[in-house]
Amino acid sequence: MSDCCKGGTKLVYACSGGSNVGQIANEVAKNLTTEGFAKMTCGIALGANLSGFIVSAENADKNIVIDGCTVGCLKKVFENHKISNYDYYVITEMGIEKNKNFVIDLEDIYRIKELIKTQGNKI
Amino acid sequence: MIIKILGTGCPKCKQLEENAKKAVELSGVNATIEKVTDLNKIMDYGVMMTPAIVIDEVVKSAGKILNPEEIKKFLI
Repeated sequence: MSDCCKGGTKLVYACSGGSNVGQIANEVAKNLTTEGFAKMTCGIALGANLSGFIVSAENADKNIVIDGCTVGCLKKVFENHKISNYDYYVITEMGIEKNKNFVIDLEDIYRIKELIKTQGNKI
Repeated sequence: MIIKILGTGCPKCKQLEENAKKAVELSGVNATIEKVTDLNKIMDYGVMMTPAIVIDEVVKSAGKILNPEEIKKFLI
């Protein structure tokens, strides 16, 4: 959780889906959190309409939304809640092909994480 | 009605609690106000910013100090 009452809250969500790209999204979100760039929270809780997660997403200074593929499940969750204050990334649009073998290249995680940090440093 | 103020005890959390008390007075509803300071319990609500206000187990706001009039709207 963010420090009490301080601003500049960036939350990060990953689709964490059942494919290599879903899991890359998850790893990127974890890395952004451990490096202190953003706070990972639960996209599925938003999908489940849990009030605390909805209010937190609405009130965050910025949300970072990472989908694995163009099915865009997480984006649809945000759209369903009419939450628009987010930066959006899709792993398959960053040069990684979706598959089910779950072989993940750590260099891909690093590259995407750094890209998001560069683009997301606007607040 | 049960109103919970989530926060670890900073001045802004205390201000939200005071505002909630005023909102209860203004609205005339029968409500009790509880403070939740345990971080794990706060996180169970999915709240990522404090202070937060929970009314009958529904989180209404997080990361903001609502004024009494704003809180009153949730009570009536």
